[in-house]
Amino acid sequence: MNAKVNFNQNMVAEHVTDQPVLQIRGLKVNYGEKSILQGIDLELTPDQPLAVIGESGAGKTTLGLSILGLSRGQVSGEIAFKNRDILALPLNELQKLRGREIAMVFQSMANALNPVLKVKDQVAEAAQVHKSFLPKKNMAQWVEDVLVSVELDRDKWSAFPHQLSGGAKQRALIAIAMVNSPDLLILDEPTALQDPLTTATIIRLLKKSIQGRSAIIITHDLSVAAQLSHWTAVLYEGRVIEYGRSRELLQKPRHPYTRGLIRSFPDMMRGKDLQGIPGRSEWLQDGCSFQPRCTQSISICKDRQPILQGDKRHLIACHRGGVIPLLECRNISTSFGSTKVLQDVSCILAEGETLALIGESGSGKTTLARTIMGLVHEDGGEILLEGKTVGKRDKNFYNRVQMICQNPMESINPGMNVLQAVGEPLAIQKIGRSADRDDQVRKVLNAAELPNNKIFLQSYPHHMSGGEAQRVAIARALALEPRLLIADEPTSALDPSVQEKIIRYLLNLQEKKGLALLFISHDIALARKVSDRMAVIRNGRIVETGQTSKIITHPRHPYTRALLEIAAAGSMCSMRLKS
Amino acid sequence: MGKIKILLTYLTAFLLILTLCFILPKMMAGDPLMALYGDEALVVMTPQLQAELIERFALNKTLFEQFVAFWGALAHGDLGESYAYNAPVAEVIVKALPWTLLLVGSAFIISALFGILLGIESGSRRGGRLDRSLLTCLMLLNGFPDFVMGILLLLLFGVLLAIFPLAGAVTPYSGETGFSLVIDILHHLALPLGTFILVRIPGIYLLTRNSMVMQMEESYIMTARAKGCSECKVRYHHSARNSLLPVLTLIGTQMASIITGALFVERVFSYPGLGNLLYESLLNRDYPMIQGILLMMTLMVLVINLLVDLLYTRFDPRVAHA
Ligand code: SF4
Repeated sequence: MNAKVNFNQNMVAEHVTDQPVLQIRGLKVNYGEKSILQGIDLELTPDQPLAVIGESGAGKTTLGLSILGLSRGQVSGEIAFKNRDILALPLNELQKLRGREIAMVFQSMANALNPVLKVKDQVAEAAQVHKSFLPKKNMAQWVEDVLVSVELDRDKWSAFPHQLSGGAKQRALIAIAMVNSPDLLILDEPTALQDPLTTATIIRLLKKSIQGRSAIIITHDLSVAAQLSHWTAVLYEGRVIEYGRSRELLQKPRHPYTRGLIRSFPDMMRGKDLQGIPGRSEWLQDGCSFQPRCTQSISICKDRQPILQGDKRHLIACHRGGVIPLLECRNISTSFGSTKVLQDVSCILAEGETLALIGESGSGKTTLARTIMGLVHEDGGEILLEGKTVGKRDKNFYNRVQMICQNPMESINPGMNVLQAVGEPLAIQKIGRSADRDDQVRKVLNAAELPNNKIFLQSYPHHMSGGEAQRVAIARALALEPRLLIADEPTSALDPSVQEKIIRYLLNLQEKKGLALLFISHDIALARKVSDRMAVIRNGRIVETGQTSKIITHPRHPYTRALLEIAAAGSMCSMRLKS
Repeated sequence: MGKIKILLTYLTAFLLILTLCFILPKMMAGDPLMALYGDEALVVMTPQLQAELIERFALNKTLFEQFVAFWGALAHGDLGESYAYNAPVAEVIVKALPWTLLLVGSAFIISALFGILLGIESGSRRGGRLDRSLLTCLMLLNGFPDFVMGILLLLLFGVLLAIFPLAGAVTPYSGETGFSLVIDILHHLALPLGTFILVRIPGIYLLTRNSMVMQMEESYIMTARAKGCSECKVRYHHSARNSLLPVLTLIGTQMASIITGALFVERVFSYPGLGNLLYESLLNRDYPMIQGILLMMTLMVLVINLLVDLLYTRFDPRVAHA
C-alpha cells in the first residue's frame, strides 16, 4: 500500500501493490493569463488520506475542484479516476460521477448551503440526484440515517441554514457529501472558521467518514493535516514542493517553505515564538518559485525550476535538497594538556535555525565555540561548513561565521570608537571603499536599533552601558552578514528588558536572512524561547540532543531532567506558590 | 407570526387611505358639496338632488355622524353618483374594471414570466452569445415610456400595417359570441398588451439577470454542482430561487406604475378600462367618479403588494423567521 507523488512511472510501478484510485498527471490550470496550478503529479490509494497544505492562493481549492471537473479555468493534463480521465468526460457523465463517486465537503462559509432551502432537503437532494429510483419512503429513511450519522441534532433537520451554527452547517455539508457513500472524499478546509471544541468534534466525525475510502484533505491548518492524513503534499504557487508521510514531514520538514509554514503555525508544544516567511508569493516564471523568499538560494535557483525528487517516501523540490545543514561537528575532541575538555561531540545546525547548547560552566560549551572558531585546536573530529570540511580559518570563513561573547569588550578593541570597531571586519575583508564601509556600518547600527549619528559613531563602546555595548558587538559581528552567528551567553550580563530586545533582534534576522544561531547558554528557560533544537552538554559530552519541544516535554537524560527541574523551580509562578 | 403582522399593516394602510378620502374634501374651503362635486356640478344641480346629497352625506349632522355615514355608504359599495354618466359610480367602475384587469393582469403575468425566464437563462450564461444579444436588445427597450411605446405600436401595426384594430376592446355591434368573441377580444388586446409587455420586460429581465449573475457566484452553487445536479437544476432550483427575491420586490413596486401606466395606454388605444374612464372623468370634472377610480386603483395596488409580501415570506425563510 503506497500513495505517493508520481513523477517517475517506473518507480511507482514497483511499489504500488494497491491500485491507485486517482492519478493526477501534469495538471495545469490557468485563469486567463494567470496560472494557478503549474503541473501537479499526485497519486492516491484507498485508506491513505492525503493532505494538501499551503498558504491561501497556492491553488489547493482549485486542485480539489479540478478533480470534480468543477474548476472554471482552462485545465490541461490528466486526472485519472478509476481509469477514466475526468478532464475528458462529457458533462452528463461527470454529473453522474459528482456526489456519487467523488464528493466534496465544502468549508461552511456563508452560503455554502442554499439559504432558502431546508437543510434536510438539501441533503436529500444529493441522494435524489443519483437515486431517483428509490421509493420516497426509503429515501427519507436513508437521509435520516445519514443525518443521524453526522450527529446533527434532530430539531435542526428542518431548519434553514441561517438558523444553524457553523458547526451544524459543517455537519450538514458532511452529510451532503456522505449521503451517497462516495469512493473519494475531498475535504476543503473542513474546520476553518470553527471554534476549537467544534473543530475537535468535526475532526472526529471526519476521521470516521474517511475510513475505508480515499480522501484528500485540503487545509491550511497543519494540525488538521496531522490528525487526518497519512501523506502530505505541500503546495506552493501551484506546484508540489514537498511530499512525504505526514508525521515525518510535519515534524522534520525539509523544504525551507514547509519549515516556514510550520514555524508560523502556533503549536502548543513549541516554546519558540512564531516566525514567518519573509516576503510574499510572487509567481515568477523562471527558477524555483520560492527563490525570492528563500534565505538559502544560490545562483541556479534563479534559473532553473527544481524538480520533485527523493526516495519514495519523501520527495522535495529544491536544488539544495531542502534546508541545508550549515554547520556540522563530527566527533570533536579537544583537550587542554591531559584534561579532556570535549569528547566525541557531534551536532548539526541547519540554515535559519537555532541550536541551543546547554550546560553549566565548565561543561565545555565555550570550548566548543572556540574550537569551531579555530581559536582552540581540536584533537580529533571534523567540522563542516555548508557541507565542506573547514581547514584553516581564513577570511572566507570569518566572512560566514562570526561570534559574540558574554563580555562585549572581549571582541572590541578598547582603542576603537564605534565606527572603527563595527567597520573593522569590513576593513579586514577589504570590502568596498571606505565610504561604502561607513554606509554599511550605519546600516547595521540602525538595524540593531542603535543611533547612527556622528556623535554616536565617534563615542567609545567602553564608555557605554552593557546592553548598548553588546549591541555594538552584535552589529560588528553582523556587519559582514554572516551565515552563522555563535552567541556565547550573549545576554547573561544584561537586564531582562535589554536581553529581550537583543534576542528579538537576532530572531528577526534569522527569519529575514536565514541566520543560523549557535546559542550557548546555561539558561534553559531562555534557550527554550530561542531554539529549534537543543543539545545538552555535560563534562565535555553531549548527553542529549533533539527538538527543543521534545526535550522540554520528554527529557530522557537524568541530567536534562535535573536542569529542567531547577529551571522550573525558578519559575515565578512556582515561587509564588511556595511563599 | 410574520404573516399576521403583514396583514395588520396592510389593513391599517387601507383604513388610513379611506379615512383620508373622507377628511380631505372636508378640509377644503367653501361649500362641502362643491368640494365633493366640483363647482360645475352646482350649475346642473337641482334643489332636489342637493337635498338628496345633503341627506346622504349627513352634511347637516355632526362630523362624527358624517364619518359613520361615510363608512356606511362604503360598506354598501356606494361610491356616490356620477352626474356625467347619470349612474352610480360603483356601477360604472364595475363595467370598466374587467377590461383593466384583463389588460393589466395579463400584462403583469406575461411580462413577469418572460422577464424572469429570459433573465435566468441569460444570467446563468453570462457573457455567452444568448446573454449578450438579449442584453443588448432589452437594454435598448429599457426606459421607453408607456405612451411612446403605445403610439409607436399603434402607428406601426394599427395604421401602417393595419393588422390590429386602432381602438376599443371589442368590435362594436358585431354581436359576436363564444369563440369568435374571444378572438375578437384578443385581437383588440394585442396592441395595448404588447405595449405593456415591451415596456415592462426589460426592468424585470435586467434585475433577474443581474441577480442571477451574482447568485451563480455564490458558494452554494458549487455545492449543488458537486452533488451532481444538472445545470437546469442548478439554475432553477438553486440560483433562481434566490435570484427572484429582489425581483419579487420589484414586481410589487412596479404594480403601482403598471396601473398608472394603464391610464396612458388605455387612452392611446381608447381601451374602455379604468384609465380611459378616469381620463374622461377628469375632462368632465366628475369628482365622485375620479375619487371612486382612484380608490379602486389604490385598493388594487395594496392587494398586489400584500400578495407580494406574503409570497416573499414563503420564498425567503430568513424574512419569515426574522
Ligand atoms: S534553495 Fe533554491 S531551490 Fe531550494 S527552496 Fe531555496 S530557492 Fe528554491
